Amino acid sequence: MSSPAPIALTCGEPAGVGNEIALKAWQTLGTDLPFFWIGDPRHLPAGSNISLITDPSETARAVKTGMPVLPIAFEGDAVPGVAQPENAAGVIAAIELAVDLVKTGNAGAVCTNPIHKKALKDGAGFAYPGHTEFLAALGGVDQVVMMLACPELRVVPATIHIALSEVASTLTADSLEATLRITRDALTRDFGIAAPRIAVAGLNPHAGEGGAMGREELDWIIPLLDRLRSEGFDLAGPLPADTMFHATARTRYDVAVAMYHDQALIPIKTIDFAGGVNVTLGLPFVRTSPDHGTAFDIAGQGIADPSSLLAALRLAGHMVQARA
Amino acid sequence: MKPRIGIIPGDPSGIGPELIARLLASEGVAEAADILLIGDAHIFERGQQLAGVQHELIPVDARQGSWSVSGGFAWHETRTITRDAVVKAEATRASGASVLATLDLALDLARDGVIDAVVFAPFNKAALHLAGMEHSDELHYMADRLGVVDYLSELNTLDGLWTSRVTSHIALRDVADAISEERITEAVALIDKTLRRSGLARPRISVAALNPHAGDGGNFGREEIDVIEPAVRRLAGGQMAVDGPWPSDTVFLKAVAGEIDGIVTMYHDQGQIALKLLGFDRGVTVQGGMPFPVTTPAHGTAFDIAGLGKADVGATLAAFQLACDMVENWRDA
Repeated sequence: MSSPAPIALTCGEPAGVGNEIALKAWQTLGTDLPFFWIGDPRHLPAGSNISLITDPSETARAVKTGMPVLPIAFEGDAVPGVAQPENAAGVIAAIELAVDLVKTGNAGAVCTNPIHKKALKDGAGFAYPGHTEFLAALGGVDQVVMMLACPELRVVPATIHIALSEVASTLTADSLEATLRITRDALTRDFGIAAPRIAVAGLNPHAGEGGAMGREELDWIIPLLDRLRSEGFDLAGPLPADTMFHATARTRYDVAVAMYHDQALIPIKTIDFAGGVNVTLGLPFVRTSPDHGTAFDIAGQGIADPSSLLAALRLAGHMVQARA
Repeated sequence: MKPRIGIIPGDPSGIGPELIARLLASEGVAEAADILLIGDAHIFERGQQLAGVQHELIPVDARQGSWSVSGGFAWHETRTITRDAVVKAEATRASGASVLATLDLALDLARDGVIDAVVFAPFNKAALHLAGMEHSDELHYMADRLGVVDYLSELNTLDGLWTSRVTSHIALRDVADAISEERITEAVALIDKTLRRSGLARPRISVAALNPHAGDGGNFGREEIDVIEPAVRRLAGGQMAVDGPWPSDTVFLKAVAGEIDGIVTMYHDQGQIALKLLGFDRGVTVQGGMPFPVTTPAHGTAFDIAGLGKADVGATLAAFQLACDMVENWRDA
């Protein structure tokens, strides 16, 4: 049996911490979990231990001597902490190449380093709100779901980067249903959980407490969950959000679905600030990324913590195995 | 002089009576304070049965003013509910009425200076509403009864970390409109005052943002720019050590790292998720804005384990100890 195709790791924003954490990840993972880095090798610190490749199939051999690098020539230099507009096209090309390679089976999964949205917008007219939406477009799907994962918790925010004042009006039974379906299917396909147990948070404090603090639970969340249960979904909720994330409660479900960004992010960052992974569910390929930004404030100092990237690469490896 | 702590057993349908029995049996409790139990005989009996402990309850009439006893616990008997009317794990009108009657008495005794603080085991809000409480929560009920017109907020505390909130038991869709500079200022002032009364000379307070990523410079909401930042700036120019707004998914890490003492949150679940995650069994709620300390475990009546004899006393013990500390500092303040 041949070993699975290696993971494609994009460079992300060259001015951020992506380059240094990629090298640290290779030092830790070595041949245990082969990945190749897509980017401009000139952006890596001088003297970095790298192995240039021309095709992902060379990764298994190359990884023994250095971080495998599938090179793309960027227009500009990497200046730590200062995004260069002329590099925007290269950052985008690296993502596109990674998706091409995973679609053709030459890569097993895509793992993306953080990008800087404004730099891409300014430098290349990048029109997507973020990485995830761009990958959905490249993958040819309309709706994807963002999941955050650490060893203790998987959690999906049903709405993401919108003002809190818009959460209640943005959430609908249709959107939540789509989120629940994508989540369940992905847990089965990518995580090997035959009948995922899904815990759904209420929108309001105390899950509305019978309508005393908001009516969304009564008006449409409970009816939706009842309908999906009758279809065979294993659903708990809507649960009061404040009591569903402690250690005992977490043993009762495989994934939690939260109604808004911070309802999901507060628990996972509190449990595991450094090691959380961002996973995109619903794509035709496996995609993970570290759950942090470009960290311009510490870029280039060699002090960036690779924990989240390591966790993202490892999780991608597990998901590829589950899909096989 | 030991703090004089009034204790009521909470909703008799839940784990409250068992918790109080366990509290009284916990090491150091009997010595830490002069304790006045307020409640029905059969409720305390049932609690002791479930906890597998026996306490000597010495009847007193606390209304007379002096009630100190030795060799047991002073007990002001009430007759608020019949034994048969107590339905395990159910919110009933009778249980709500029992709670309100004992609470009223405890508040009166504290107002009259007969006790220094009140500790209560968990109430069930649905039962209180069935019994006719029209306020959104017990805090507003208590304040109304005592004629308190100052700013009120539940404060939650865990292992030395405190949170207060600008909004509390309201629908999420109403939160953004309820955020104002005035309310933020009041919430910061309340947590500052309460922390000082718990013994900190200069509490370090951080204010949480409302929107994800603190609004990302206005991309996901403008409340940070329009309301929260101006309020914090103004407060920081005064006597208090306050900063923010901080993204709410990382502000708790500052607290865990010991960099701050208190967090002002914008809405209920923003603070409660992290606190209950960090210490579900130890969190304490303080009824902020009251004229004397009132504390309770942060968890609820736990109907799912009521009557099983396996309730964890940790949070109740923490609530009792905090009430004792607050009495000491209240006297000094």
